[in-house]
Amino acid sequence: MDWSIVWKAALALSGISLLFGVLLAVADMKFAVEIDPRIDDVLSVLVGSNCGACGFPGCQAAAEAVVEGKAAADVCLAGGPDIAREVGRIMGVDVEAKERGVALVFCKGGLTESPLRAVYQGINSCSAASKISGGGKACDYGCLGLGTCRNACPVNAIIIDPDHRRWINRDRCTGCGICVDVCPRDLIQMVPRDQEVLVVCSNRDKGKVARKLCSVSCIACRKCEKVCDFDAIHVENNCARIDYEKCTQCGKCIEECPNNVIVRVVPPRNYKPVTSAS
Amino acid sequence: MSEPYRYFLIFLGAVLVYNIILIRFIALCPLIGVSTKVETSIGMAMSVLFVMTMATTVSWIAWNYILEPLGVGEFLYIPAFILIIAALVQFVEMVIKKVSTPLYRAMGIYLPLITTNCAVLAAATEAVKPGFLKLNVPYHFGLLEAIIYTVGVALGFGIIIIMFACIRERLETSPVPHSFRGAPIAFMTATLLSLAFMGFANLLGL
Repeated sequence: MDWSIVWKAALALSGISLLFGVLLAVADMKFAVEIDPRIDDVLSVLVGSNCGACGFPGCQAAAEAVVEGKAAADVCLAGGPDIAREVGRIMGVDVEAKERGVALVFCKGGLTESPLRAVYQGINSCSAASKISGGGKACDYGCLGLGTCRNACPVNAIIIDPDHRRWINRDRCTGCGICVDVCPRDLIQMVPRDQEVLVVCSNRDKGKVARKLCSVSCIACRKCEKVCDFDAIHVENNCARIDYEKCTQCGKCIEECPNNVIVRVVPPRNYKPVTSAS
Repeated sequence: MSEPYRYFLIFLGAVLVYNIILIRFIALCPLIGVSTKVETSIGMAMSVLFVMTMATTVSWIAWNYILEPLGVGEFLYIPAFILIIAALVQFVEMVIKKVSTPLYRAMGIYLPLITTNCAVLAAATEAVKPGFLKLNVPYHFGLLEAIIYTVGVALGFGIIIIMFACIRERLETSPVPHSFRGAPIAFMTATLLSLAFMGFANLLGL
């Protein structure tokens, strides 16, 4: 066998590569387009998960929009106040400290607590199920548990267990709010990161009906309202809601609630209270 | 056969008789992928024409002055041509970005896509490397012939993709059965078009 073919092949291919490499390197210098260096700076401090919650197609586009003045420094919803402040520092503007919330599904009932009234066998998505007579769940306000929010979450913070209970990883949740938009029953809302005491139900049926539908539903008994010393919890439309501004998280209502709808959740591990813009 | 007539036959054969999409079924991916709007398909056709011609020219030089003298062309032509096409597209993108921003905006998305377009490699290979061309015309693998052939192939590609986009825009509003919507009906349309183009066989003895 003639081995010269090997080095000839290597020579030919590396020769062509070298030629084009030099050509591209020269072209890169000669035809360089002036790009605002701030774009790269802004891009480097953004979250970088390309979640699209800001409305731009990816972090690169968001960074360009910020530099061109088409978007504010707090464009990155997922990044929260820290990143907004970083972006503001690069752009030379002051950014008000704005708290990003954390997502919470306002429904506690899984299959055990809230039985099915029908077996849903359609497309495996909440939005499809909710259009067919409201899916299989007995409670008209409850979570269908088919995972539309889980599939939409860009950071995989939502887990649904076999009993259709939802678990949101509050450390992972960036507060981008995509799940809030996709939930067909509007069960997901953003709550302040430092809020620990929460009413995890959205049922607006009268107490008797609500009790029948789900063992962990708010029956609008108003016990929590009476026990609260700070006027922070109120029953509106047959469902208790906490005023996060007034709530001191004392936990009296948790003990009082007969159906265990009010719970104390653990705040995110990486949570740092916002003090002031530096 | 006079020289201009021979060039004309090469061109005609590349555009119609051996149409790259409908007769040889190369580049079906852009046919389905970039033919939903006439506007984008025109952009794609122009980009392909541009890149294909340049790729063949440079491949011809590489084949005749590097690969063939070293005797390695027989097995090295695919990596070499791919390398050439990829580098060339990068280069062209840089130049366009600098010279004309509107053109870059119009062609920008398609240029990187063309890097992996099999039609570009096919045209370059057929025009440059003996043994692949199927035209029934004397072909001597000169640079001018190669360019004429490639322009023909690119125009054939462009005509089909623009024509197809026009048909698909009409299909959007037609009462197509639900299960045939989108790609299935597009492929069936392509089949019928392909049958029509087979009618060009043996045109002027090609």
